Amino acid sequence: MVKEYHETDEVSRVVVRIQAGVLALVGALIGGIGLFVMTAWLLIKGGPQVGAHLQLLGQYFIGYSVTWKGSLVGLFYGALTGGSAGWAVGTVYNWIVGIRQG
Amino acid sequence: MSHSPVLIIGAGPAGLTAAYELAKLGLRSIVLEADGQVGGLARTVNYQGYRFDIGGHRFFSKVPLINALWQEILGEDFLVRPRLSRIHYGGHFFDYPLKTLNALAGLGPLEALLVGLSYTKAKLLPAKEETNFAQWVSNRFGSRLYQIFFKTYTEKVWGIPCTEISADWAVQRIRNLSLSEALRNALFGAQQAKDGRVITTLIDSFHYPRYGPGMMWERCEELLAGRGAATLRGVRIERMRHRHGRVERICGRTAVGAPVEYEGEHFISTMPLRDLIHTLEPAPPAEVVQAANRLRYRDYLTVVLIVKRAVVFPDNWIYIHSPEVKMGRVQNYKNWSPDMVPDPSRTSLGLEYFLWEQDEEWCWPQQRLIELGIQECARIGLIDPGEVEDGTVVRMRKAYPVYDQHYSHSVTTVRHYLESLANLQTIGRNGLHRYNNQDHSMLTGVYAARNIVGERYDVWSVNTEMEYHEEGRTVERGAGDRLVPGQLARPGTEMSPSPDEIIATVLAKLDPVALGVAVGVVSGIGLFLLTAVLLLKGGPEIGPNLSLLRYYLPEFEVTWTGAFVGLIEAGVGGFTLGYLGACLRNWGIAAYAALVRRRAEAKARRDLLDKV
Repeated sequence: MVKEYHETDEVSRVVVRIQAGVLALVGALIGGIGLFVMTAWLLIKGGPQVGAHLQLLGQYFIGYSVTWKGSLVGLFYGALTGGSAGWAVGTVYNWIVGIRQG
Repeated sequence: MSHSPVLIIGAGPAGLTAAYELAKLGLRSIVLEADGQVGGLARTVNYQGYRFDIGGHRFFSKVPLINALWQEILGEDFLVRPRLSRIHYGGHFFDYPLKTLNALAGLGPLEALLVGLSYTKAKLLPAKEETNFAQWVSNRFGSRLYQIFFKTYTEKVWGIPCTEISADWAVQRIRNLSLSEALRNALFGAQQAKDGRVITTLIDSFHYPRYGPGMMWERCEELLAGRGAATLRGVRIERMRHRHGRVERICGRTAVGAPVEYEGEHFISTMPLRDLIHTLEPAPPAEVVQAANRLRYRDYLTVVLIVKRAVVFPDNWIYIHSPEVKMGRVQNYKNWSPDMVPDPSRTSLGLEYFLWEQDEEWCWPQQRLIELGIQECARIGLIDPGEVEDGTVVRMRKAYPVYDQHYSHSVTTVRHYLESLANLQTIGRNGLHRYNNQDHSMLTGVYAARNIVGERYDVWSVNTEMEYHEEGRTVERGAGDRLVPGQLARPGTEMSPSPDEIIATVLAKLDPVALGVAVGVVSGIGLFLLTAVLLLKGGPEIGPNLSLLRYYLPEFEVTWTGAFVGLIEAGVGGFTLGYLGACLRNWGIAAYAALVRRRAEAKARRDLLDKV
């Protein structure tokens, strides 16, 4: 088998290991702030039926609604979900890298 | 350990450095020099008070040990000098290193257009085969620029067509900047070596002894004498007797023809390998002698003209590319150091001719060579013949070891034989048949001296592991400095990562498969959970919005079967996204590294001629 050569092999043959905790934090920040901002944006825009589709997240996030109070609840759920996803991606990635490197 | 002195043949930079290092190690040595002067190729010749340098030696090294040695030997007489050099071609002077606007202006609009077209062609359609120097340079500069600025001079220096010079030689001479170093420069600003030192270049300035390079070696000889190491001039070694794998004695003659003989425990030779093989008694096997005989050397001749003018030109030297004259380079010694001339109203020029000993000009009488020099200088407009008031000629045999098609095999054969003589080491440019600069030759001297006290340095590795030495990684073992104990990190403090460690981390690759699997697993399970939650909650119409994903995920629906379909499809989709994301990130990093390398190589090629 021909081994793939990278331009950078000369100075670095290191494979990235992801710090799952850091990725969880990043995911939590993006998820939490993201959902908060999306909710707040719809509230500020206003209109006859505010956030009809975003409202559907309430099916998963108990207590969430497109209201100012809901945006804070969404902040929490978004952070929890994003953090969990980030941690899971980091952990699975490191696990697979560990297996592949023997 | 024996107390007999170490015998060193040759008082050039390598030999004298070996003696100097031995003296530091507390060992006596005797240096035997065939010539009446020390310094070898790096001597300073004095003619009527006018000093001149054989070839122009800029003192520059990326090896800290060598820089320290130079400072130690010369101290305040080691000057920092500005560098200015140009190319003469077709009646014009061009800045060197080449500057685009200056070069195009000098060439004229038509030639500039042709140069531009040939450069574009080289970039778009480079020659696939890159085996010789001509192809190597043409691929980088275009064939037109190669013809104008590289072909003639290179062929004057080496005496063989550029198409017969290996491209490997160019790569060896030019590739002095590794990706690692290029990245250090790009990421951390100034040109930094691994140990954080700022690397200067030879392009703008260089160090130079007040009275020329020979001053360094004459001072070194004095220092050696003060430490009991003798340097005997005018002793030409004719025979080297060996027995049972050891050299026992060397025999020769003094300048007045008196025979001399020296016995010793250790021998260091800087003689040309070809000559050394012929001095051995008993003679080596025939194939070794034949290999030695195949080694070729380029000879060098300087015509020095004393000109009645204070300023002839501002350059340290000028490369003469113009094919209508035979000289290859003109040195202006007072621009190297003002103290090289005794009278500031006069200028001494050194016209350099690169020849074979068999060439007709080599044997010309001095006056004829001086007339040739005057005529050629006048032809390219440097001087008026009436301004020359005196002149002299210096010939240097075997100035350059030639890298022809056979040299590598021949050197290997000779080297293997010489390795059978346990107490003999060969060092220096001709002792290794390697086109070393002065600093590399000195480093081989240091290594040889240390080997005598039991260390195990490979002198043949100097200047082959190009990056290793040139990057200044010489604080590490094997490159010229002693190991020093490292300081332990204090508890509670963290060692700052080195630039190379930072680079290795920044350029670390994401594993595409691992990231693909990770994103795939999270996506698949995520969609499965989203579907399952809705199914468990139940209701009259389950998940009308989530089921819209079927537009992207075929057969997906909010049912238990659909949940598993979604698990697989979202998993595959996630894997693809993760895999491509990692690849894109890795390609981006690689593209950045390639860009940095290309820029660094282009910068390194700016002084290509200096390395010819």
